[in-house]
Amino acid sequence: MAHQETKSVDTEKIKEMLNQRKGTMKRFLSHCAHCSICAESCFLYMAHNKDPQYMPSYKVIHSLGKLYRKRGKVDRKFLMKIKGMVWRNCVLCGRCYCPIGVPIPSMITFTRNICRSQEVYPQLDETSSESWL
Amino acid sequence: MLNFVQGHLISIAFIVFILGLVYQGIQFFKLTKKKEWCVPPSSIEIKREKMTTQQRILEGLRSLNGNLWKTDPALTFITVVFHICLIATPLFLLGHNILLDQSWGVRLFSFPESLSDLLTLIVLICGVYFLGRRLFLARVRAISSVYDYIVLLIALAPFLTGFLAYHQWFDYEIVILLHILSGQLMLITIPFTKLGHMLFFFLYRFLIGSEYSFVRGSRTW
Ligand code: HEM
Ligand code: HEM
Ligand code: SF4
Ligand code: SF4
Repeated sequence: MAHQETKSVDTEKIKEMLNQRKGTMKRFLSHCAHCSICAESCFLYMAHNKDPQYMPSYKVIHSLGKLYRKRGKVDRKFLMKIKGMVWRNCVLCGRCYCPIGVPIPSMITFTRNICRSQEVYPQLDETSSESWL
Repeated sequence: MLNFVQGHLISIAFIVFILGLVYQGIQFFKLTKKKEWCVPPSSIEIKREKMTTQQRILEGLRSLNGNLWKTDPALTFITVVFHICLIATPLFLLGHNILLDQSWGVRLFSFPESLSDLLTLIVLICGVYFLGRRLFLARVRAISSVYDYIVLLIALAPFLTGFLAYHQWFDYEIVILLHILSGQLMLITIPFTKLGHMLFFFLYRFLIGSEYSFVRGSRTW
């Protein structure tokens, strides 16, 4: 836990990963109409009193979207912030429905990969205030 | 300057629009060469029972229950009306068709001017609804940035200025110039912004393999 929060961030690595899938991921991000229609299709959104934080598009716009906007130049604090978004607030069930067809789960999977490359992932011995369930 | 805007710039806008869409299409096919089953092969072999027309209609109506029509009927209705008017109005507009005829010698069927005017008004009203959603619904605001307002403005500006020009409100010369500029801006930005969903909607929902594919697409990214 402490290890995750203090390790330095390899921004070059993040940048390299981002560039590798730029063609698809940036297109997905840009085609999202930011309409919020996907909200109701996510059971986590419904189970949390329709809290916008659980909206499928919210989870990618504020994680992957920001990673691309910052071109990978992010700090540990940012990674810890999106950690919950991509690891806890989504279970990759693949049920989200977008009328345009933006593939939310593959974007979240990719963001998880980036987090994992910086050793940001839930740990079993984690006893933080935020429960992982 | 004026001649340029009303002449070559129109051609340039159309060329960017069409080549931009072609480029995006080519990129799409390049990026999705891989194919895979999105439904188990066996389920394709099972023949569905023949349905009578009545059953088919009922089935269709029932399927509406599980989709957006059930969760947000107002938005569904408004977005469908918005998009139909958005595309039909400029295509079948007398003013546009006359210009098309003068420059290329082709023209499409035109709606009566009063109908076009009404459809334009409908687009604008739907646009105001989208703007309201973005401003006042927490869930939409949570994912909105300045960019979303700009794109909405880009989409609505040709309709607003076209409406003003038709009614000859304000200085016609200036309004029509703004109309042409905003129309060109919209054409140029379609392939490269979120308005690109005009093309990608069809690619995503018809060709990509997914549970929600309309026709069992099988391409994968
Ligand atoms: C790019 C070149 C364009 C040119 C040269 C052009 C030109 C014109 C002209 C001459 C009129 C007639 C105004 C009048 O009746 O006095 C008009 C009206 C109109 N235009 Fe365009 N236009 C262009 C692009 C667009 C685009 C891209 C859209 C929308 C997507 C659009 C939407 C409209 C509408 C809705 C009206 C009619 C409004 C009404 O009747 O209430 N135009 N345009
Ligand atoms: C041709 C097929 C098209 C399809 C299937 C399509 C589909 C969609 C869908 C599913 C949405 C999200 C739902 C909503 O917010 O209403 C949407 C939003 C939108 N579309 Fe389209 N669209 C198409 C073409 C266009 C074109 C040509 C334009 C304009 C140039 C356009 C402009 C918009 C705008 C501005 C929004 C967002 C409204 C907002 O700000 O919430 N669309 N479209
Ligand atoms: S992912 Fe799809 S449904 Fe969700 S906000 Fe983006 S365009 Fe709308
Ligand atoms: S994949 Fe994630 S975002 Fe999509 S419906 Fe499931 S939990 Fe929600």
